[in-house]
Amino acid sequence: MSFHPPMEYAPARFHKSARPLPEAGGEFAFTPENQAKFDENVKRYPPDQRKSAILYALYLAQGRQGYLTAAAMRHVAQQIGCTAAEVEDVVSYYTMFFTKPVGKYVINVCRTLSCALRGAERVTEELRAKLGIAPGETDADGMFTLIEVECLGACDCAPVVMVNDDWHEHLTPERVSQFIDDVRARGRAALTGCHLRKEKNGHEQLTVDS
Amino acid sequence: METVTLTIDGRQVTVAKGRTLLQAAIEAGISVPYYCYHPGISIDGSCRVCIVKIEKMPKLQTSCSTVCADGMVVHTRDAEVIAARAGVFEFLLVNHPLDCPVCDKGGECPLQDFSYTFGPAESRMDFPRRVFDGEGVKGDVDFGPTLMLNRQRCILCTRCVRFMKEVEGDAQIGIVDRGYGSEIATFEERGVHSLLSGNLMDICPVGAILTRDYRFKSRPWDNPGVVDTMCTLCSKGCSTSAWLKARPEWAKGTQLIRMTPRFNPEVNNYWMCDIGRFTYHWVEGDTRLRRPMVRRGSALEPAAWHDVEPPLRGRLQEAGSTDPSSVRFLVSAHASTEELFVLKQLVRGLLGSDGLSAVTIAWTRSNKPQSAAAKFKVPATDAPNVNGARDLGYRVGPGTDGLPDLLPLRDAVEAGRVKAVYVLDPGPDGSLGDVSWLGPARRSGALGLLVVQGVVMNELAAAADFVLPGATYVEKDAIYTNDQGRVQAASRAIGLPGEAREDWDILASLARSLGLAMPYESSHDVRRALAASMPGTAYAQADTLVFTRPVPARNWLQASNPSERWKWDFLYQDLPPVKGYSVQTEGMPPEAVFIPLKPVGVRS
Ligand code: SF4
Ligand code: SF4
Ligand code: FES
Ligand code: FES
Repeated sequence: MSFHPPMEYAPARFHKSARPLPEAGGEFAFTPENQAKFDENVKRYPPDQRKSAILYALYLAQGRQGYLTAAAMRHVAQQIGCTAAEVEDVVSYYTMFFTKPVGKYVINVCRTLSCALRGAERVTEELRAKLGIAPGETDADGMFTLIEVECLGACDCAPVVMVNDDWHEHLTPERVSQFIDDVRARGRAALTGCHLRKEKNGHEQLTVDS
Repeated sequence: METVTLTIDGRQVTVAKGRTLLQAAIEAGISVPYYCYHPGISIDGSCRVCIVKIEKMPKLQTSCSTVCADGMVVHTRDAEVIAARAGVFEFLLVNHPLDCPVCDKGGECPLQDFSYTFGPAESRMDFPRRVFDGEGVKGDVDFGPTLMLNRQRCILCTRCVRFMKEVEGDAQIGIVDRGYGSEIATFEERGVHSLLSGNLMDICPVGAILTRDYRFKSRPWDNPGVVDTMCTLCSKGCSTSAWLKARPEWAKGTQLIRMTPRFNPEVNNYWMCDIGRFTYHWVEGDTRLRRPMVRRGSALEPAAWHDVEPPLRGRLQEAGSTDPSSVRFLVSAHASTEELFVLKQLVRGLLGSDGLSAVTIAWTRSNKPQSAAAKFKVPATDAPNVNGARDLGYRVGPGTDGLPDLLPLRDAVEAGRVKAVYVLDPGPDGSLGDVSWLGPARRSGALGLLVVQGVVMNELAAAADFVLPGATYVEKDAIYTNDQGRVQAASRAIGLPGEAREDWDILASLARSLGLAMPYESSHDVRRALAASMPGTAYAQADTLVFTRPVPARNWLQASNPSERWKWDFLYQDLPPVKGYSVQTEGMPPEAVFIPLKPVGVRS
């Protein structure tokens, strides 16, 4: 690639990193609709701040297969005009981007202070027991993924669990079992708690149901 | 220039407007520690060790990211600052391995130095450290063809990230994950592929990024001297430091152990390229010429200088007896200006005023792949002195913008119109370009005499009748003119191998044996004559250029801190690198200095 002197132990991979790498993935490119959406979105930012569109681009890319492969990150880098390393920075920073397949419902349990004080750990324990998976894992039938995350910004209703894009509040270990059964049976519509919910038309509005 | 005046530690300090507090403190010689700040890259404010107290501000501020304002009153040695700073240092060491004895940076490590100087006196860490990549040395991973990365040691200052983004122009390094799990990484662990990768070792303030070339080869206390010199491997002419390692007692002397860049705002800033940094092994390699050699029959045999000169003179005189211009010179642009000056006098003396037309100057160009956004560009021309040759009146064709034309010489040699070729090449092997036609021409008899004054044994030297061992760029005091036209000095760092001599000296004694006057006893004499002969040019001061010698440093730290050497040299002269002693607390009562350590939890 560039000039480099022959080094004594260059040919041998001397020490390989144990860092988990994103899956290589097959060829990746935005679908025409996604490309159009991206092109529209990127117009919001001044040309020298194109990078601001990176989160949007990653959501579009993740929407395709539910997680991001190295090929997808490279495609996003190309769209944004930055390097793949910078994209990986962003992907690895946010808990809402995944680099391996996740379940249909991603259960994010808040473990930060307010929730921890109100028993988030016990909620996690219940979920572990009920689903039979540890945080960071996906269950066998690909239904649930459990992760622990930092503050979800709803401390007043601690402990908080976010399932995909919806918040569920005031959870107690006792309610967790019911909660999972409801999701299994009726999907997101069955979820309870006061939370922000995305309506069909894409606008967010605060709905309270009990 | 607009200035602002502020008070730091009771001292009035006046600096240019827009400078930060840290820069002002450095300029004033007030020591404030820093890791993420580096003068060559942008400000980040992530390491927090540079905190100071500013009056009227509610909290301690990071001095690297606070711009000076008129009338600011700043304290860097306040008890509150000392305690808070010690706290930051304690945090930086929470996960840092106790690797110093096996870490290449040990002894020249800002993390060691600053932790000793500003950190708490003892450790409270009795819990396991976070480790990446398994236990122990497995933290060392490949980081591209030239580097190794040890994530355990990284303090996440992001200097490397910013360097790649801003100077290299290709952000190959990033920080993956977040918070406690953050680590320095490249996409898919591909490592850093850059012509500037070696600089990452310099800027990394800990032993996290190391060059494979220097890894485990030497320790700071083995390097007794360092010489300020310059790189001559391309037409840029970066200022560098040549590091010398003491040989074992039985071998005596020193050995070149690494090259690092030296701050020069006009040429290379704080950086140098990997070519200049790593291409020094050939200087002390096995192919170096150490003794003069003469062809006897089919073999080249070593001979003493006094046995070489008479036959050489005889053969040259014979070759030039009918037509002096049938003796030609093929000179590499690695030749220093002194050598070119002596050569000019030699050919003028022998051939008259158009003597320079007998000399062909040769150099090579190579493609140096760099990103378009790179701030530090490595020029294509691989020789340091094309401009020096031009200024002395040699014909250099397109100069540093193109390639020399060796064709006329080749045609003349192959047509048998040339009786003798004298090659002068003090550069690394291959610096004359394609001269593969010259050896066969001599062997076939088309050329009657081939003299090679060079430094490495190669195909060309093997075909020669006389081989004269010269000196490489680190073995002589010499001046070169870079592509900006700056006349720069390269100092002698190591001694000449075997019986090799400086090239100007070989040329001068040859000229003397041919009956020309060469009143020079040292390269300095040559520079003086050069300066006198070119008044009104950049060369008029050639004899006042400064050459440095390996100075045993005043202390081991000063000698051996490549990344921060500019700091000890220019800025931090008041910060004694003496462990356990701190200017920060000098003259303060012990109780003001004492940083009480609170026990963590209750232990039995
Ligand atoms: S590897 Fe070195 S330069 Fe890079 S962030 Fe870590 S400590 Fe800083
Ligand atoms: S840019 Fe040229 S002068 Fe500078 S270090 Fe590289 S080869 Fe040497
Ligand atoms: S701490 Fe759980 S939402 Fe803030
Ligand atoms: S040097 Fe100021 S925060 Fe790092």
